[in-house]
Amino acid sequence: MLSLWLRRLSTDRIVRLRKHETSVPLVVTGKRGNVEVVTAADDAARQLGLTSGLALAQARAMHPGIDVVAEDVEADAALLDSIADWCLRYTPLVACDRPDGLLLDISGCAHLYGGERELIADLGGRLEKSGFAYSLAIAGTIGAAWAAAHYGEPASYACGEESSVLAPLPLSALRLPPATVASLARVGLKRIGGIIDLPRAPLTARFGPDVLRQLDRALGHDHEPLTPRLPVAPYVAEQRFPEPIGREEDVLAITVRLARRLQSALEHGGDGVRRIELSLFRTDGVVRRIAAGTSRPLRNPEEIRALFVERLAALADALDPGFGFDMARLSVLVAEPCPPEQIGIAGGEDTAELCRLIDRLSARLGPRRIRRLVAQDSHIPELAETAMPAQAVNGDTGWSTFRRYRNEVDLPPRPLRLLARPEPIEAVAEVPDGPPLRFRWRRALHEVVAAEGPERIEGVWWSEHGGPARDYFRVEDKSGLRFWLFRAGLYRDLAHGAGAPAWFLHGTFA
Amino acid sequence: MRYLEFAAASNFSFLRGASHPEELMVQTASIGLAGLGLCDRNSVAGVVRAHLAKREQNLTLRYHPGARLVFADNTPDILVYPRNRAGWGRLTRLLTLGNLRAEKGKCTLHLDDLLSHAFGLELIAMGGHARFLARLREAAPHRVRLAASMLYRGHDRARLARTKTIARDAQVPLIAANDVLYHHPDRRPLADVLTCIREKTTIERAGRKLAVNAERYLKPPQEMLRLFRDAPEAIEETLVLSDALSFSLDELRYEYPDEEVQGFDNAQDALAHLTYEGAARRYPAGIPDKVRDNLEHELKLIAQLQYASYFLTVHDIVRFARSQGILCQGRGSAANSAVCFCLGVTEVDPDRADLLFERFISPERREPPDIDVDFEHERREEVIQYIYGKYGRDRAGIAATVISYRGRSAIREVGKVFGLSEDAIGALSSSIWGGGGGAVSKDAVTRTGLDPHSRRMRQILALAREINSFPRHLSQHVGGFVITRSRLDEVMPIGNAAMDDRTFVEWDKDDLDALGILKIDVLGLGMLSCLRKALDLLDGHYGERWTLASIPPEDPAVYNMLGRADSLGVFQVESRAQMTMLPRLKPKNFYDLVIEVAIVRPGPIQGDMVHPYLRRRRGQEQVTYPSKALEAVLAKTLGVPLFQEQAMKIAIVAAGFTPSEADRLRRAMATFKRVGTIGTFQRKMIDGMLANGYERDFAERCFQQIEGFGEYGFPESHAASFALLVYASAWLKCRYPDAFGAALLNAQPMGFYAPAQIVRDMREHGVEVRPPDINHSHWDSTLEPGPRAAECMHDLHREMRNDVRTVHAVRLGLREIKGLREEDVRLIMERRGGAYDSMRDVWLRTGLSPRVLERLADADAFGSLGLTRREALWAAKSLGRVGDRDDDLPLFATGGAPQARIVSQEPDVRLPPMPVGEEVINDYRFLHLSLRAHPSQFLRADLDARGIKQNETLRRAASGMRTRISGLITCRQRPGSANGVVFMTIEDESAVANVIVWPKVFERLRPIVLGARYVAVIGRVQEESGVIHVVAEQLEDLTYLLAQLAEHGAEINGLARCDEVRRPIEEQREARRTGSRRNRLVSLMREMPELAGDLGVSARGSAHAPTRRAIAAPPRRARH
Repeated sequence: MLSLWLRRLSTDRIVRLRKHETSVPLVVTGKRGNVEVVTAADDAARQLGLTSGLALAQARAMHPGIDVVAEDVEADAALLDSIADWCLRYTPLVACDRPDGLLLDISGCAHLYGGERELIADLGGRLEKSGFAYSLAIAGTIGAAWAAAHYGEPASYACGEESSVLAPLPLSALRLPPATVASLARVGLKRIGGIIDLPRAPLTARFGPDVLRQLDRALGHDHEPLTPRLPVAPYVAEQRFPEPIGREEDVLAITVRLARRLQSALEHGGDGVRRIELSLFRTDGVVRRIAAGTSRPLRNPEEIRALFVERLAALADALDPGFGFDMARLSVLVAEPCPPEQIGIAGGEDTAELCRLIDRLSARLGPRRIRRLVAQDSHIPELAETAMPAQAVNGDTGWSTFRRYRNEVDLPPRPLRLLARPEPIEAVAEVPDGPPLRFRWRRALHEVVAAEGPERIEGVWWSEHGGPARDYFRVEDKSGLRFWLFRAGLYRDLAHGAGAPAWFLHGTFA
Repeated sequence: MRYLEFAAASNFSFLRGASHPEELMVQTASIGLAGLGLCDRNSVAGVVRAHLAKREQNLTLRYHPGARLVFADNTPDILVYPRNRAGWGRLTRLLTLGNLRAEKGKCTLHLDDLLSHAFGLELIAMGGHARFLARLREAAPHRVRLAASMLYRGHDRARLARTKTIARDAQVPLIAANDVLYHHPDRRPLADVLTCIREKTTIERAGRKLAVNAERYLKPPQEMLRLFRDAPEAIEETLVLSDALSFSLDELRYEYPDEEVQGFDNAQDALAHLTYEGAARRYPAGIPDKVRDNLEHELKLIAQLQYASYFLTVHDIVRFARSQGILCQGRGSAANSAVCFCLGVTEVDPDRADLLFERFISPERREPPDIDVDFEHERREEVIQYIYGKYGRDRAGIAATVISYRGRSAIREVGKVFGLSEDAIGALSSSIWGGGGGAVSKDAVTRTGLDPHSRRMRQILALAREINSFPRHLSQHVGGFVITRSRLDEVMPIGNAAMDDRTFVEWDKDDLDALGILKIDVLGLGMLSCLRKALDLLDGHYGERWTLASIPPEDPAVYNMLGRADSLGVFQVESRAQMTMLPRLKPKNFYDLVIEVAIVRPGPIQGDMVHPYLRRRRGQEQVTYPSKALEAVLAKTLGVPLFQEQAMKIAIVAAGFTPSEADRLRRAMATFKRVGTIGTFQRKMIDGMLANGYERDFAERCFQQIEGFGEYGFPESHAASFALLVYASAWLKCRYPDAFGAALLNAQPMGFYAPAQIVRDMREHGVEVRPPDINHSHWDSTLEPGPRAAECMHDLHREMRNDVRTVHAVRLGLREIKGLREEDVRLIMERRGGAYDSMRDVWLRTGLSPRVLERLADADAFGSLGLTRREALWAAKSLGRVGDRDDDLPLFATGGAPQARIVSQEPDVRLPPMPVGEEVINDYRFLHLSLRAHPSQFLRADLDARGIKQNETLRRAASGMRTRISGLITCRQRPGSANGVVFMTIEDESAVANVIVWPKVFERLRPIVLGARYVAVIGRVQEESGVIHVVAEQLEDLTYLLAQLAEHGAEINGLARCDEVRRPIEEQREARRTGSRRNRLVSLMREMPELAGDLGVSARGSAHAPTRRAIAAPPRRARH
């Protein structure tokens, strides 16, 4: 058993992401209860006495100059996962020992590297090069390896030596809850050696069965199973080929075959595909991965095929099979519950049609090119809607919220067409806040016969590009055309040095 | 054109209104509105402030206090304005009804409540249909109006036409209202920030939650008329409504309760009788002439101002406390009154002190007298219940405290709104020192790593400044009681407090003061509890019955002790600064204590009075007086004015001021310090002194001196009240350190020192202190027969050997054990019988959970059972297994003898013995102190190797010598008067040492000063008058050494209450009263309009004049 402890995982992750090296002590912080506390510290910070558990306020008071980064538990976990995957090169049996360790079952594998010591050297060397601080140990049991990696001398220990390895180590090396360790310490039991020879019954009576179970496991008296990391993809189908394939048609054919296999599994699980990936394993070890997204859960093999048709057509470089692919794997990366297909009348079909169209266009033209208008929460008309990639819009386009707001405050009508940017016009109007009597837009003069307003909308004061307040008017000209105009700037602000108000046309009504 | 705004909300509509009531009032005047109706959401909390602003600036506009009712049942908001006093009563009862129904800070009202309370109220509906209006009209015929607003929403004119139709159909008049939230459109950013705080969102994310425009400000009448040109009658209607409203807040004045007059014709007669009866008791040998004159003068003034009932009320409360054996004592300016002394409210003998009654009550001041009484803090509740019992909850209530945004909370909230990260906010807010209303400096911003010149940062800082002093919510005042003659809820609304069964009124002390409503401060004082406990111990163990009044006066042993700065635990003079002053002043009599209390204050220190006084006292400087007349005033302080009263007397005697004028001078000093110089009084005083033949130079110096401590000066009366407690506590400490120490421990938390220091001090005074024990301890610390303290006295205190009378040891109470509950300890004591004989015995008899017994074991409280800490824990851990107790039930009856059976079931386990060092660390962890040894004793070899000496060696060190010492940090103080100097107290096994850290060193060694628990100090020895300090040059954090003793060694904390550096605490609470500066300014302006000239602006200042800031954003300090 090999136990690997990445003792500065969080700070190493952050430092690796940085371009420049800095010597500023770094701490990672997170909320524990109601307090922002240090959750990890790099070596420089540790030397200053900044340790996990210290309140951030106190740490800052002590060392105002430290670098503080918010914790990102998910990023840490993802990093550990990827290191675990990378360790598959040593053994298929890799388990995560969260939050910052790995357990590798290397029985029968070490000889590939020329022995345990060599394996340690290889693993350590690579980790070091990648900028990870680590500590590792090999022993006959998980418990002993873990204890030695975290508390003892990093080395490789022979089976049967567990007792002498463990005896001088503190009880926390048995992976006991801190509360148990603390209460054992209070009666003077602090080292593993102190409990090895103690009568078992009184110990169990006072501190529960965990203590002795952990001890027995570490000593090898009791078996501890290793739980290897499970494959993440919820649905996977793969196929090996005796003869490598290389043609696009073959690839698509195999995709449909794999998709059919997935279909029954998906139906069984009540799920549909939101994101799917096709991995093609080249004979020389290179892996081609092609992913595609969908705008609604789907499981129809033909539809999945259609996605990849578009993707393959859109690939900038050719498939480049080299000497051919000897394996293909179709993995569902993201699945979502998908109700049984509604076959039938009216609305449902339309939405499905629209989605299919969006998926195909997105796969072909790129997801960023196909957009939908989504309502935004802002008083400023041009900021009140935005175009988003259509696949990313998940049902709610925000318009129902907007409609609720409009009814609530009795909002005056908005124009059917809003100009991309307001166009300056010349207008004659009553001071200070009357509607325009006539105006000239795109060289044509319009006589106003009816007007309603003003609707005053203030600029965004906290932004540098907020602009002045606007007075909006709905006006109708002689020929019955209706416009949305506004005066930018208020006469009352003239006193504060604002420029003279100016007129703009912002939209037209049907 | 004339128009009144009736829909104006102030910032007492919390997180909605964005202007102070004062700002609204001033703006109303300056834009020419005819008047203002102030209506906050279900509250009248802000109406008094606007009322005062109007009064103080002599504004001739109309003002109508009201409220905006917001209903829980979808009814549109309704503004209500009382027509008259009766209507006001209806309104406050209505609000009370809604408040008491809801949790703290909320008010739940339904339309039916209003309909049944509508009598005497004028209503303005902010919306609603004809049918709804008809319903209102039925409840309040001819008193309903419908509001219309023109807020630039796009179809205002169409809306107005619709509203007009509704009003016509419902046959109610239309009234114009701008639904105001701020006095000026410039407040829009702040209003948006408030919205974000309320909605718990950021400015970027708030979207349509923010207001679409900035139109809800106070608009000038011509603008309102223009907007309402389609309905000018709606503008006209505001004046019609105003004419119908006759109520003024001034009608609430003098709501004093009628006290029983016990057979006398009136309160005045009863007061005179009680006063002279008391005087006869105070002066058995006959009332001295001086006192008799005082009494006559005071009684005359009291009669003239009709304050007799008030004195009777206070007298009755004090009499009740005395009858219950609750110690109490009046404080503050009331001690200037001979009447208060004779009534037993205060203890300062007018025969011995020069009292200045005008400091207490002045006819011109037109403020009700203010008597603050301290009670034992643990029994204050009894007094409060008595007041409720006597006056009933419908006549007595607790005043509110307005909790406002302050420097830290302001930057915190505004920073959040702008989306600053949690730690940037933390760093910015922690750069503001203490709890005051400071602001974030540019340097602090830079240090946080942000750019103070960026647009965003400038906005944040400006808005944080603007929101500063905005009210956040109302809270209950610590002890301010308001008592009224009639129903309290018809004078002001009452609301629920956070505590169950507690209510408080909506107005704070300033508001009550301003309206002349009676209030009395019922305060809690820890030292009074301590004194009573100590006196009880003397009674129980020494058979000596003393009272505060009968403690032998002027005991030289007491003064010898204080002169050596041996004052730990003594009231008021136990702080580092006081301990430094004591050996220099060497008090010899009671009056010296009065001076001692008053001299270590920012006032005398900044006015540079301390050194001249000390020089004269030591005979290094000649004592001279500028004139014979002033000699009488200044003789007792050797010619150096130290007290406020002396400043006033100088003005009276030398410059010909009347006593009332002198009082005004004093208040003007205190109030104007920050606002401007006080030219009017300066001229008057200097001219007066010149006319009386004084030198101009001297006159100017006198004035400057008065100016120097105008704000912080300490009244002699107050110092004298405190000095009585100083003497009483010092006497107990000197004669019976056992009883005093035990009482101090039992009155915790109070004072400056943690139990560890109190225990150390007791032991140094020869008192044997015994550990808490399951069989011997009570909850409180107790006395047990013990050795004579005189024989065990530490060398430090050998001079006291003949003074100490202690023959008892102190047994620490179980209350010292961390995490133990009092009811569990009561159970242990009740079931103890003779004694417990084993862990199981304790468990079976008390039925306490094993967890509690583990706590006791951790604290090593099973010594009398022969169990060590580890053995006790091992035994406690075995308890509580399933089935155990059932098996053992029969044993319960026989007394638990067959213990052996259980023991024999278990194999013997030999636990490793605990090293002493670890025992000590564990003592600290679970008891906060150790009687075994000091941790540094176990580090000594290590310390020796580093060349670190014992603290004791300082006593023999020459001043100026460099030395190296170490110790556990027990105290960090950073007094406001010391310019950022940190005083640190450290202790090792030999002695306590005082370390001074200058600001420069502090900045350099900040992490150590703030983070270390055990520290080594390299610095120079400084000795003055027997007080030894080490001025730190270098510090080293040795906390890690403690970790070598035991696992959690580095976690022990010697600090307790006196950690001012991280958690600023107040030096007692006498500074509390600075809160009413706004009020003082207001009343001064009222009395002396000529002072306005000194402010540099006219009374009717423009909206942006400096006065407005001073008044509208009162520089109150949060010292509550």
